[in-house]
Amino acid sequence: MDVNFEALLPELLLTLVACGVMTIDLFLPKEKRGLAFPLAFIGVLATLAAVLNLYGQNLTTLDGMFVVDRFAVIFKIIFCVAALLVFAVSQAYLNDDKDVPHGEYYTMMLFSLLGMLTIASSRDLIAIFVALEMISLPAFILAGIRKYDIRSNEAALKFFLFGVLSTALMLFGMSLFYGLTGATNLADISAGLAGRTDIDEVALLAILFLIVGFGFKVSAFPFQWWVPDTYEGAPIPVAAFLSVASKTAGFVGLFQVMFLGLGELADMWRPMFAVIGIVTMTFGNLVAIQQKQIVRLLAYSSIAQAGYMLVPLGVASATDGALNTQIIFSVVAYLLVYAFMETGAFAAATAFGRKTGKYLIEDYAGLFGRSPALAVAMAAFLFSLAGIPPFAGWWAKFVIFKTLIEGDGLVLAVIMALNTVIAMFFYLAVVKKMFVDKSEDTAAIAMPRSLAGAIGIAAIVITVGGFLPNLFGQLAENANFF
Amino acid sequence: MPLNWVLVLTTFLFCVGVYGVLARRNAVIVLMSIEIMLNAVNLNLIAFNGALEGDRLIGQVFALFVIAIAAAELGVGLAIVLLIYRNSFTVSLDEVNLLKW
Amino acid sequence: MPDGYFGSYLTLAIYSLAMIGLVGGTLGLNRLVSPKVPGKEKMTTYESGVDPIGSGQSQTTIRYYMFALLFVIFDVEAVFLFPWAVVFEEIGVFAFVEMMIFVAILALGLLYAWRKKVLDWI
Repeated sequence: MDVNFEALLPELLLTLVACGVMTIDLFLPKEKRGLAFPLAFIGVLATLAAVLNLYGQNLTTLDGMFVVDRFAVIFKIIFCVAALLVFAVSQAYLNDDKDVPHGEYYTMMLFSLLGMLTIASSRDLIAIFVALEMISLPAFILAGIRKYDIRSNEAALKFFLFGVLSTALMLFGMSLFYGLTGATNLADISAGLAGRTDIDEVALLAILFLIVGFGFKVSAFPFQWWVPDTYEGAPIPVAAFLSVASKTAGFVGLFQVMFLGLGELADMWRPMFAVIGIVTMTFGNLVAIQQKQIVRLLAYSSIAQAGYMLVPLGVASATDGALNTQIIFSVVAYLLVYAFMETGAFAAATAFGRKTGKYLIEDYAGLFGRSPALAVAMAAFLFSLAGIPPFAGWWAKFVIFKTLIEGDGLVLAVIMALNTVIAMFFYLAVVKKMFVDKSEDTAAIAMPRSLAGAIGIAAIVITVGGFLPNLFGQLAENANFF
Repeated sequence: MPLNWVLVLTTFLFCVGVYGVLARRNAVIVLMSIEIMLNAVNLNLIAFNGALEGDRLIGQVFALFVIAIAAAELGVGLAIVLLIYRNSFTVSLDEVNLLKW
Repeated sequence: MPDGYFGSYLTLAIYSLAMIGLVGGTLGLNRLVSPKVPGKEKMTTYESGVDPIGSGQSQTTIRYYMFALLFVIFDVEAVFLFPWAVVFEEIGVFAFVEMMIFVAILALGLLYAWRKKVLDWI
């Protein structure tokens, strides 16, 4: 049996790190439990180095199940960077919250990250299923990690029930595709489906089931009910992790299955994504307007953002490879920018909440007077999420509009433009609160260096990216399997 | 045995599971219903494997992975239900309703 | 070891006899040498440590669930050992090392349970 260990190196390394952090934490005295953070941080840095070492290579191992190409490597980089940012935010959060066990927290995040690295390379239904579960199971525990807080328990329960239900439905879809083609490898499935005309009804049903599974992960419309409750009840860094890393992993799986495995059936799934994308963004934006709590606002906004990233799949084509390349490019570009602006916004909310203990939008009144740097950074993230220049978010939206118009999806582009306008209401309302309104409390908001660093890096990246979008553009262009 | 008979059985089992998840209010019974759904998937995979290919065993391998991961899933799920029971003395999903809109 | 079709049945028969002898022998020995102090508690029906008294609807303590959880997980993960055992001779040392790593990771879970004092019955 041939195994290319070079291709598996980042995953093997991360497995060692995760097991190591867990074991070391078991034998540490109580007062030294903070050691888990530096260990996990250095471990992910080492993994990132191993991933960067694979850049530009094309390796296949484990009988075609595991592939290292540019697409996989770029997503692995995104996952590692997002995890590092979330770790930096977590450190500040965990030091305040005595209820959260450090070792378990970082161990679970590392195992979830391991699943994400694996899914980027998986080219087989079995591997994709195992990787998705490896992402979800630790995430369920993370959502409920504040054991004695009943809201955290509830967040975990809702997340878990939606998660396992969608997994079971997705598995049924996978089993149908196995029955149709006799293969689980995506390339073999694609070959098995080519030219078949006798399978319309079953294939349609199977695609629907598959979309349920991935729709849950990316929080697309009828499967998004868990999102606001889970984000609100879970620790905020966990919410950031779910909304950035876990959602990106869902998109990675979706791309691989839809384009590599079911590319032949694009005519069947194209309209589904168009409808789901439109409904998701409209729902997210309309409900977000009424929110009074910052985390729930960010949760609904992240649902809307998922909608923006789903509509390009609504113009995909079974035959036009260049168009599919453009679609993947635009969504990858959006995901790259999204990783920084979303993590940044959650980090800023953590910084505000941990000092003041307040999570309502009203409480942000007069933040500019209290902590100008924090207010400016938060405004940058919100502008970017809304798609207002000069921050990188406008470029990401622009790329998606361009794809939609090139793919003859003018209607989709118009609806998305309307949604962007609606979204400005609630993003700008928060900015107005921070800069125009006054508050009685004028105490500055202090934050530890790791948190300030995470916010600073995210803010710098989206500002520089807004002026020099080619930096993101080149990375996203490389991330393609066609 | 013809493949269609097995498929009818698995579809029926799967629907029983879905009904249980959607209609029952006891968290433990919901977990059991999810197990039924996953077992329907397993039967599906094994039936396809038997009908499709003699000596390649992809479907059975897939079923093994589903069994193992279903156990892990159930472990996490029961742990969460236990946690809720300890904190609020209920396993009824209707009473877990602090967070809304 | 005898050869042929009936020979393999003979092997099975010898094996069965040896097993029956071993089990019967130990149980008989136990009977012969163990001290007998019957009491009311000891004569009740054995129900895995639960007193078979009262109504059937009584609640079990929450600790059983912890053990049940651990049991289910470790029991089911062993499912991978069966296909491994079938192809073990074809793959050889590599399969052995891989399965040892798998078992080691499972053992890590057990270590965690032990250090967190889940295994103690208070």
